[in-house]
Order: sequence, then C-alpha cells, then structure tokens
Amino acid sequence: MRHEPGVLAVFKDPSDAGRAVRAAHAAGQRDVRAAMPAPFPEVLEAMERPPSIIGALTLIGAMVGASLGFWLTVGTALALPMSVGGKQVVSLPAFMMIIFEVTVLVGGFSNFVGMLIGAFIGRRKSRMPEDPRFLRDRIGVFLPGASGSMHALLRTAGAEEVRDVS
Amino acid sequence: MSALVEKMRSIDRSAEDTQRAPGLGWAVLMLLALSCLGIGIYSYSFIVRFGMQYTGLNRPVGWGVLITDFVFWVGIAHSGTLISAVLFLFRARFRTAVYRAAEAMTVIGVMTAGLFPVLHLGRPWYAFWIFPYPNSRHLQINFRSPLVWDTFAISTYFCVSTMFFLAGLMPDAAALRDNSKGWRRRFYALFAMGWRGTAEEWRHHGRAYLFFAAFATPLVISVHSVVAWDFAVSIVPGWHSTLFPPYFVSGAILSGVAMVITLLIPIRRAMKLEAIITKPHLDMLSRVVLLTSLILTYSYSSEYLLALRAGAGPERDTLLYRATGAFWPFFWTMVLGNCIGPLFLFFKRVRASLPALLAISIMVNVGMWLERFNIVVSSLEHNRVPFDWGTYHPRLVELGITIGSFGWFFSWFLLFLKMLPSVSIAELKEEAAHDLKHVQSEVTAHAA
Repeated sequence: MRHEPGVLAVFKDPSDAGRAVRAAHAAGQRDVRAAMPAPFPEVLEAMERPPSIIGALTLIGAMVGASLGFWLTVGTALALPMSVGGKQVVSLPAFMMIIFEVTVLVGGFSNFVGMLIGAFIGRRKSRMPEDPRFLRDRIGVFLPGASGSMHALLRTAGAEEVRDVS
Repeated sequence: MSALVEKMRSIDRSAEDTQRAPGLGWAVLMLLALSCLGIGIYSYSFIVRFGMQYTGLNRPVGWGVLITDFVFWVGIAHSGTLISAVLFLFRARFRTAVYRAAEAMTVIGVMTAGLFPVLHLGRPWYAFWIFPYPNSRHLQINFRSPLVWDTFAISTYFCVSTMFFLAGLMPDAAALRDNSKGWRRRFYALFAMGWRGTAEEWRHHGRAYLFFAAFATPLVISVHSVVAWDFAVSIVPGWHSTLFPPYFVSGAILSGVAMVITLLIPIRRAMKLEAIITKPHLDMLSRVVLLTSLILTYSYSSEYLLALRAGAGPERDTLLYRATGAFWPFFWTMVLGNCIGPLFLFFKRVRASLPALLAISIMVNVGMWLERFNIVVSSLEHNRVPFDWGTYHPRLVELGITIGSFGWFFSWFLLFLKMLPSVSIAELKEEAAHDLKHVQSEVTAHAA
C-alpha cells in the first residue's frame, strides 16, 4: 500500500506512544497516524478523533429493520386476512416478536457492514508504512509530511526507533 | 526488552502453537466425532426413506427426543453470547481468555439446533414452507405462531452471533496472517478482511463491537424466551406457565456455561493454554454455574409449589407424573445434576479442583438434556383427560440422530480449534498492557 513520506516512530509502550501523539499534536502536526496490535486506550484517546459514526448507521439499519418487520407481518396479515385462533387479523402483540428479530437482524447487518466500510475507508485515509510488528508487539506512530525536526520529539517521548520514510 | 513486549510475544506464541499441525489425539477425536456424525446421518436416512414411523412418536406424544435435542442445543448456544456480550457490557475482565471458544461454541451450537426443527419435519424438503415468500398458492405463514417466531429468532441469532464472532476474529486473523505461509496465509487473510491495525480501524471496530454486544444481549434473552413460548403459549399442563421464559433463559445459561467448562478444561491442557486460561477464569465460570443453578432450583420449586398449592387439577397431576411416572429416574437425575451437584461449587476447594469441576459440568449437561426431555415428553404423555394419556419410548433412530448431533457439533469444534485462534489475541494484549500499567502505578505509589 502506498503512503506519503514522513517520519515513523516505533514504541514498545502504549503510554509512550500516547505521549508522542500528544506531543506531535502540540508541535502543530495535525495529521498523526498510529497502528497497534490491540486497542490501547492511551493511544486512541491521544488521537483525539471524533466517535465513529457507526452508531448512526446502526440506528438507521435498526429502524429500517423494524419497518420491514412491521411491513412483513401486518402486510401479510392484511393481504391474506384470515382469523386464526380467534385472534385479530392484525395481532400486534404476536407480531412484536418478528418485528424485534428483524430489527436486530438488519441493525446487526448494518453495524457489521458499517464497521467494514469504516475500517476500509480509515485504512485508505490514514495509510501507514507496513510493518508486521504493528500487529504483534509494537506500536507505530506515523507523522506524514513531517521532517527530521520531529525525531527529537519522538525520541523524547520514548520511541525505540525513529526513521524517515519516503 | 520491556515486560509488555515479552508478554505480547508470549500471547502470540501461545496462539500460534494452537495452529500447529494436529496430533494423534486430535485425529482420534475427529474420527470419533465423524463416526458419530455418520451414525446420525445413517439413522436419519430411515426417516427420509420410510417416514416418522421409525421414531417413537405417536398420538398424543408428537414431540420427543428431536425437540429435546433442539432445546438442548439452543441452550448450549447461549453461553457464548452471555460470555462475550453480557460480560463485555459489564466489563467483567475474566471473559477475555475464554470468550472466543464460547463464541465458537455458540455459532456451532445454533448450527446444530437449527437442524432439528427441519429433521423433525420428517419431510425436510418442505422446510422452506416456514419462510415467508411470495407464492402462487396463496399460502402464508402464521406470524402469530411461536414456531414461526422460532424460525426468525434462531436465524437472527445465528446471523448476529456469526457477525459478532467474525468481528472479534478480524485483528487476530491479521496477526496470524502476517506470520504464516501458503494456504494458511490466504485463509487468515480471508478472516482478517484487510485489517492492518490502524487507529482508524480500531476506532470503528470498538464502536461496532459495543453495538454488537448491545444487540446480542436482548437477542439472547429473546431467543430462549421464544423457545419457552413454543411450550408456554399452549394449554398443555406443565407447559402453560408464565414462569417459562425466565426459567428457560437461566437454564440455557446454566447448560451453556457448563458446556464451556466441559470443553475448556481439556482444551487448555491439550493446547497448552494453562497460562492464558487460568484456574481463576474457571473459578469465575463455575460461580456463574452456581448462580444459574440456584435460579433454576428456585424455578423448579416455585413451579411445583404453585401446582401443589392449587389443589387437584391437571397441572398438579402432570407435575406429579413427571416426578413419579414412567420417566421418574430421568426427573431425579435431573434434580441431582442441575440442583444438587452444583451446590458443591459453594466450596472453594471444589471450584479449584479441575476433575471435580469437570464432573459437575458434565452432570449439569446430562441434567439439562433430561430436563428438556421431561418437559417435552411428560406433559404430552399426561395431558388433561385420561383418554388422552399415552406413552413414548425413544427409538434407536432418534438416539442415533442425537449421537449424530454431538458428532456434528464436535467435528466443527475440533476444526475450529485447529483453524482459528481459540483465544482472543488482541484482547489478551490489551489486558496485559492494562495489568502491567496497574502494577507499575502500584509500585510507584508504594515507593512514594
């Protein structure tokens, strides 16, 4: 995957990586990217990114699901009006189970698809130099467009390795 | 090298070790599971060729072992979601080491449970009639029926628990992908879905995981409530009770967690995961077994107390028949397995002893299967009027299908153990970082 030139720092400790991200922000570096083997809160909080919009997608999916469930049950009952067991043709209490399950099903699908799309877009928007260590035991902080002046800042934060990437 | 890096490497090594080529023990178990599956397929072929006469079903007992199996496997499928979703929302940290195996058990358990309503039809090629689809015969399914609710609930549960499982697997598959070659690399890449571990990916993943947990929690309760309503909305004595949904949900959690313990104790030893799945983890799971067993005992007691308190009547007669009738040994074995056995878990020494824990878990599993059998069969055998009484004897074909279901379940589970990481690598690393930070801050505070 292609990425911009910049400075890459490798950290052993999530707290150090978080500190480096904060220091880079304070030094005026707006675009700071990171990769790590686990969701370390120290780094993710330091990134100061807004909450993911997946919640909104999931809510829309759940509402579509509820409408589909309602349409399926009530629509079928009205299309074929047949009284069963002395119950009304449109028996909402009985239909609520179907409506609930379809709500969860479509909400779950939109959540999953939203996560895949969000991860895909996020990966493309914040490209990092590839390093298998970032999926195993190290945290990478990448400052695209940064120059050698950032080296000292990253080393001070505790980076074990700092290098320019082109 | 920092302690955290060392810890993360050790987690990676443990996970990679589980993915090595299978040994003789695994091959023998797989052969056994496939043989059981073969018995199941052979047994079911009789029903397909000659019809339901090969089962012991009759009038009035129209539901028997196959429906018992269905309820049993749905129950088994409950613990995974409980452990991954409910304990995730409650931030119970002991779930981290055990939830992946429990989630796999859920997905495979639902796959197994979903077979039985189809098998029970006798003519499985008509199973599609239960799904709503436009058709020229003007036949539409009855959305007021709990059997239709079941179809929706089970299929939704299967889809959501599979997506939940895949979402948790993505980062771990990526970690294994980058360290493997050949077909395994392509296989893990499929599950990793392009994962690179960037902060942006984690941001969306964390949010989606939370929503999955929030969806799965009411879903897991609804699914077994619907299974309970399969019985409770009828007017059959012993079934028609408002107690059934919470009673079934607690029973499902009990049987599911007992099955997790039954599987984890041999797995941790066979796959050398003792350092990850520790005794305190099993201790916490055994407490869940104890709690749900107490809830279930309370439910049994209140069911009987109310029936006896109501005086003469079909409900009282049926419940007395359940405890003293043809299947009385089943009833009392159930009481032993579900109510008395788990009481030993009050003792710390029992919870710390793995053989004792395994024995109690197996007892609970047997007890829970018998519970479902007692509920299904005794009520139908002993309905409201003596004219409608009958007997049911399970036939070899039904027992063969039950054995086959265990074969089906364990074949998939053994495959899972060797193909996918049975512990959550990413979450264990997150836990390790959290623990080390906690230790460091305590040391600093102590020094100050």
